[in-house]
Amino acid sequence: MGLLSILRKLKSAPDQEVRILLLGLDNAGKTTLLKQLASEDISHITPTQGFNIKSVQSQGFKLNVWDIGGQRKIRPYWRNYFENTDILIYVIDSADRKRFEETGQELAELLEEEKLSCVPVLIFANKQDLLTAAPASEIAEGLNLHTIRDRVWQIQSCSALTGEGVQDGMNWVCKNVNAKKK
Amino acid sequence: MFISLWEFFYGNFFRYWMKWILRQMTGKCELQRIFDTCVGAQRTHRIENSLTYSKNKVLQEATHVMQSEVDKCIEDIMKEKNINPEKDSSFKICMKACLLQISGYKQLYVDVENERKKPYDSDNLQHEKLLLKLWHLLMPKNKLKARISKQWADIGFQGDDPKTDFRGMGILGLINLVYFSENYTTAAHQILSRSNHPKLGYSYAIVGINLTEMAYSLLKSEALKFYLYNFVPGIPTMEHFHQFYCYLVYEFDKFWFEEEPESIMYFNLYREKFHEKIKRLLLDSNVALTLKI
Repeated sequence: MGLLSILRKLKSAPDQEVRILLLGLDNAGKTTLLKQLASEDISHITPTQGFNIKSVQSQGFKLNVWDIGGQRKIRPYWRNYFENTDILIYVIDSADRKRFEETGQELAELLEEEKLSCVPVLIFANKQDLLTAAPASEIAEGLNLHTIRDRVWQIQSCSALTGEGVQDGMNWVCKNVNAKKK
Repeated sequence: MFISLWEFFYGNFFRYWMKWILRQMTGKCELQRIFDTCVGAQRTHRIENSLTYSKNKVLQEATHVMQSEVDKCIEDIMKEKNINPEKDSSFKICMKACLLQISGYKQLYVDVENERKKPYDSDNLQHEKLLLKLWHLLMPKNKLKARISKQWADIGFQGDDPKTDFRGMGILGLINLVYFSENYTTAAHQILSRSNHPKLGYSYAIVGINLTEMAYSLLKSEALKFYLYNFVPGIPTMEHFHQFYCYLVYEFDKFWFEEEPESIMYFNLYREKFHEKIKRLLLDSNVALTLKI
């Protein structure tokens, strides 16, 4: 490391901390996504009871990612984690068409929450590695995403398993961290 | 720094000088001396180390010996080490017991890993049968109205089809759940009804699958060695792995209610605490973990 780069490091401001909330139905792939972000092994994943949290450095940000279990029984606890959220990431299993309605309803309820008002939302259309996965455009239409007007939003197709599309989504996150309308 | 220097010199020089001096003094090789001084898991563990770090190929490979070739392998070792069967008649018996335990542990991991890698498959009749068996064992009085049903949540699965809950643990998770319910039915019913506690409750099946992961990762990291070497005199099998799983399920439930967590949302915190507790117990070479009901 040269003298210049050391000086530059000293000068640069400490990483801005960002609170990211990862929600979605059970089996959407939230924990796989979290582990993929943290570059951890994804072969031994079990259903999440409660929550997992990990911190990831990205583009000058310290992303504190909260992955909350998606099972119906613990969805009432989701609201305990809303406070001070900078970005909401909502994960959908694109191959589970039978539950599109359920996942759409949960998302709609989240967007109504006062504590999450104006929080930018990224929707991951996950599991695109499966042949039966619906394309992101179809999901966007089915969930009427175009009617969202009170915040910035984005839908990104991805596969948490292979990692494809995940980085694109996170780039959007970093760009929109400060887009929360006060 | 000093420690790594010491390790380097010890591993490369001192160990061999020491062994040579001791050999001259006692007239016995290291393996024989271990049999003279150690018993139980400690004995197997030290024999394993001695073989693994040996420069002799025959000894090194003995830790991977197949069950059918154990006798021949022991003969080769005795030849290499000039051990006279008449002078040391117990060597053969002791060595056989140790080798079966050592290579058996490695084989057990392979077997467990094979089951874990098999995903739950709804088109596989055996898998489906096993799943329904779990329901009947846990809910003998309630009929399952349909294969896809909200009722699965009553035994602690997340949604209306349990198949997605097995995930990274595959069919191993289901086999474990069924084994506990079948062999400790009364305890399973008690734990299931406790898991429905309004405040301290947890999802029975999901927690079970999480504990399969714990048992699996302990086996993989070799943390179960002392336990299995003490518990199983010969070759450890799947049965012994299931027994350890049962111990975890029973003890975790006790632990959870003793700790009185604020809510299920703190599960991972207490899971880690429990994991640390078990790891500490497993470090003792005299460890014996048995399910006492």
